[in-house]
Amino acid sequence: MTNFIQLLFTGVSVGIIYGLVALGFVLIYKSSRIFNFAQGEMVMVGAFLTWSFLNLFHLPFVPAILLSLLVAGLVGYHLERFPFRRMIGQPILALIMATLAIAVFFRGLAILIWSEFIGIKFPAIIPEKTIYLFHIPFSSVHVWNFVLVLILVVGLSVLFQYTSLGLHMRATAESPQIARSMGIRVTRVIAQSWAIAAVVSTIGGFLFGYYRGIDFGLAHIGLIAVAAALVGGLESFKGAIVGGLIIGLAETFTGFYIGRNLKEVIPFIVMVLVVCFKPHGLFGLKEIERV
Amino acid sequence: MSLPSGVFSVSYIQDMMILRTRFRQVSLLIFLLFLFCIPLFARLYWVNLLSTIAATVIALMGLNILSGYCGQISVGHSAFMAIGAYTSAVLAGHLGLPFWLCLPCAGLTAGLMGILFGLPSLKVKGLYLSITTIAAQFIIIYLIKTPFADVTGGAIAMNVPPVTFGAFVFQTERQLYYLVMAFTILMTFFAWNLTRSHVGRAFVAIHNNDIAAEAMGINLYSYKLLAFFIGCFYAGISGSLWSVYAKVISPDDFTLMNSIWQIGMLIIGGMGSTLGPFLGAAFITALNEIVLLAGPMITSAIPQIGAQVSAALVEMIFGAVLVVFLIYEPRGLAHRWEILKQSCIHWPFSY
Repeated sequence: MTNFIQLLFTGVSVGIIYGLVALGFVLIYKSSRIFNFAQGEMVMVGAFLTWSFLNLFHLPFVPAILLSLLVAGLVGYHLERFPFRRMIGQPILALIMATLAIAVFFRGLAILIWSEFIGIKFPAIIPEKTIYLFHIPFSSVHVWNFVLVLILVVGLSVLFQYTSLGLHMRATAESPQIARSMGIRVTRVIAQSWAIAAVVSTIGGFLFGYYRGIDFGLAHIGLIAVAAALVGGLESFKGAIVGGLIIGLAETFTGFYIGRNLKEVIPFIVMVLVVCFKPHGLFGLKEIERV
Repeated sequence: MSLPSGVFSVSYIQDMMILRTRFRQVSLLIFLLFLFCIPLFARLYWVNLLSTIAATVIALMGLNILSGYCGQISVGHSAFMAIGAYTSAVLAGHLGLPFWLCLPCAGLTAGLMGILFGLPSLKVKGLYLSITTIAAQFIIIYLIKTPFADVTGGAIAMNVPPVTFGAFVFQTERQLYYLVMAFTILMTFFAWNLTRSHVGRAFVAIHNNDIAAEAMGINLYSYKLLAFFIGCFYAGISGSLWSVYAKVISPDDFTLMNSIWQIGMLIIGGMGSTLGPFLGAAFITALNEIVLLAGPMITSAIPQIGAQVSAALVEMIFGAVLVVFLIYEPRGLAHRWEILKQSCIHWPFSY
């Protein structure tokens, strides 16, 4: 029983990071209909960037985080300008390939800059303590993780629902043409959502890298988050978080009860099953197609 | 297919010919002769390079049929190559079957798995389909690594037995070159003809608009699955040929990155054209070789960069080239080649 509850908690705290990265996908998808396969690489580069500011430039913790978020935001903002603004109206395959090409590019960049740093970790910032909840031990890192992501998720939802930027984003998602005719600068809104997604994935990279260690394998979280976003439905923030939790739990439980190898593919198996039986995810919108 | 100027069909046979003019026939013959002669005088480096390109071209042609003609995006093509490679290696290594039996088996297994993973294409398309094919990539490699680890050796490399035809054993790279090249020519011929048949036309119709195609009486289910079967059959053949050339295979040879590279090559070469796979594979392989040659020079010039500069540059340049092609020439090198040919024909006039 103790095992079960511990696994549950680990699954939730991993899953919520998946949910956070999936949120980045959903954000970009909702505002520009582009599915960003480079998200995983953004997570990886973000983690490396934060680590570099902390360890190579010896900045204190808060400025290092802020600086890396700023850099990530700027990169994200400009990704919209080149190449995605020029690709409006291209078929889906071209858009997918463009994000994959950016993913490959980022990967090369990361190898170029950081390939000599192997087995690096973030310095301990939160004191590693064991917290007892109903006599079951939990790591304090997981608790902090959970609280932080929850704050972010609530913050993003508020941003999307109650601010003018959020309103502009929703309008752009509904119909870029109408949004433009209402005086919304569509390209800027899309660029802003790319920037937010890059910032969110950098935070995800920091959180995930904190207890996993930083390496090129971090990019894989992007693909798992794809699965999470798809399970939840691409149009829904709530869905991204729920999908992340489902994937995180499925992964943790198969990892413990069945085996490590299956753990690596279980997100994709869950995703394929969901897509086969409920193509638009748990909370997605059903599209009606006409010729 | 537009007719060359001054050439008219006076019989059905003429109308169905692929190579319409004497010039094209002769130039193809010369090209084939050239390919045949290469191992006789070229250095081993070039023979290896051309064989790798030829094996890649077969996989790309499958991807071209699946994605370029039928419009079903697949970002898991290298996993189907893995199925082909492992099927033929296991059949030859454990059961001792001859190669001429292993090769079609490899293609068929890959094709059947392709149908299995193509099933979601009946319900979803575009974005969702691309993601389910990424899932296929991971699930297939997992299957090779874990449940079938007894026969495939799991994550550890597996030796591929040499190819034998009766008493003759293909041993040297130069002999294997002829094997790979022969199948490349055969598969090209098949792909070329397929795209002119009613099946190929149905694929193009599905690509353009599947609902409209269904309304025209094309059975979407069977044609989409057929496209998956043919595309993955090609991948299986390619994987099998590549494995006998590589002699050692491991699951790490067939990663998601390889799949992305393949579809990138196809886009750079030009989707939906017979020439595309050739141009794409040749262009990217050549670019790679140049970067790999330049890498050590850069390291010696600027030692601070680090030893992995080649590996990093290969990926960065590929990513950048792909983005540039997607923006400025989404129809790829094949389209550029057509434009070049037209402007040569019409020179000095603009049209």
